[in-house]
Amino acid sequence: MISVSRLVKHYGPHVAVDDVSFRVEKGQVVGFLGPNGAGKSTTLRILSGFLGMTSGKVEICGHDIQNESIEARSKVGYMPEAVPLYPEMRVAEYLTFRAELKGVARARRRAQVDDAMDKASVFDVANTLIGNLSKGYRQRVGIADALVANPPLLILDEPTAGLDPNQIRQVRELIAGLAAEHTVLLSTHILSEVEQSCDRVILIAKGKLLAEGTTAEIQKMRRTAALEVIVRGDAQVALRALRAIQGIAKVNEQAAKDDVATLRAVWAKKLPDADIQSTIETAVGALVAAGLRVREVKTVGSSLEDVFAELTREDEDAEAS
Amino acid sequence: MSGLWPVFKRELFAFFVTPLAWVQIFVFCLVQGMHFYLLIDHFSAQTEVAGDQTPLQTFFGNTVLLYLVLFLLIPPMTMRLFAEERRTGTIETLMTAPVSTPAVVLGKYLAALTVYIVMWAPTVVYLVILRRTGVVDWHVAAASYLGVLLVGAGYLSIGTLMSAITRSQFLALLGTAFVLLVLFILGVGEFVTAAGTTLHDVCAHVSVWAQMNDFASGIVDTRRLVYDATLILLPLFVTVRTVDAWRWG
Repeated sequence: MISVSRLVKHYGPHVAVDDVSFRVEKGQVVGFLGPNGAGKSTTLRILSGFLGMTSGKVEICGHDIQNESIEARSKVGYMPEAVPLYPEMRVAEYLTFRAELKGVARARRRAQVDDAMDKASVFDVANTLIGNLSKGYRQRVGIADALVANPPLLILDEPTAGLDPNQIRQVRELIAGLAAEHTVLLSTHILSEVEQSCDRVILIAKGKLLAEGTTAEIQKMRRTAALEVIVRGDAQVALRALRAIQGIAKVNEQAAKDDVATLRAVWAKKLPDADIQSTIETAVGALVAAGLRVREVKTVGSSLEDVFAELTREDEDAEAS
Repeated sequence: MSGLWPVFKRELFAFFVTPLAWVQIFVFCLVQGMHFYLLIDHFSAQTEVAGDQTPLQTFFGNTVLLYLVLFLLIPPMTMRLFAEERRTGTIETLMTAPVSTPAVVLGKYLAALTVYIVMWAPTVVYLVILRRTGVVDWHVAAASYLGVLLVGAGYLSIGTLMSAITRSQFLALLGTAFVLLVLFILGVGEFVTAAGTTLHDVCAHVSVWAQMNDFASGIVDTRRLVYDATLILLPLFVTVRTVDAWRWG
């Protein structure tokens, strides 16, 4: 559905996208994951035909985005990050306009607008002025707009940004429902979001492609990073006890109040995943043996930033050697 | 030209759903009404009226009032066209739809032109009033309206371009007013410079005032038509290129 090869985009001297290549196959839900400023939006804007590229080649359903721009654009339902809408129009009016603009034949227009409003659950605001809609509804009108011409490919830029948890859940369910009929490429900077909604993940940072794989493969990179314990007793004793354990790289004190301390023990980089459980047991045993009262034990997952830090470090290591 | 019709309809909708178009039409009708009243008042005191100095000819030609109204009303008609879409970001959804750039530019331009025509439409009543009390030369009337249409179309085209080259509606408004004023002042140069010089010829060629005087006398000169066509097509062409150039910014 999407084929991107050696895509480069410069904004003046700034390189926003640097030699990115990937493919998206039919029927997949692909997450485009990266921290803020990674070049996600720029890439999606190029794929949707809004921006030109400095060099490289992009094909949408076999149509070159530069030479056959209109054909390529007609295959894509694109929702920009800010979900720009005309505030002076009513929802149904807007979607009818968009359907006509996207070349939906007059006879089918009404049915497709109704269908899109139904899928995106915006039927109850069909006659509301867009300017009066809440953020959650605006987001769904944006999705309805992307859907209205029933394109084979949906490109959604941060579809859950700025929504409350309840709305995020609704939008995720909506996207999961769309996956049956459409290929979806969505961008996000939240790792858990990709784990919940996507089959495949493309990781991008600082304009460069870091990794590409199934969600399970990416999840492996996200093993627990550290152990957090809350103990009562002498913090120095606890620190010594934890530092003595093999498999723990470093320990530091996160917080202390009276005689209760929160400690964080970071796993050694070489510690195999399988040994994490036994190391936790050893750590708790050592703390108890040292005469401390253990109040709470939990593992701390690595954030997206940690995964990226890890991946970029591996890159640098590879380049150095 | 896919997308021209829906863009045209939406733009027209945006004109009339906001108070802007109504305020403009109201102001225009008010000013032209006063203009016409003063003319009629003036002519009713005359015992004899020359054949080339009828109320109709004075209304369209020989007057500065017409241009003052246009300088005030044309810039706000076109300032929104592209600047607004770029400011709010809706240009992104518009240009990622399968539409061609010339269709978008033309759709927006034609919507502004339609509002301009709607604005002039009530003035036809003046012809009816004149007809009831005297003789109306319908050829002169037709030529005059053609002149008004062509001048307005050229001005709106310049305004469309100004709206495309800035994100700020206010700058688009000022830019349009400035260019229109410069064109007008160049035209006035016809009366200032000595006849026979190149400058005089250039000024005479671009003079909208002289053009309206001609059209209001029933003279439709091909040179004027060519100039008007240039004034309409050139800015629109540059607008299309400007909108395409955003992709590479």
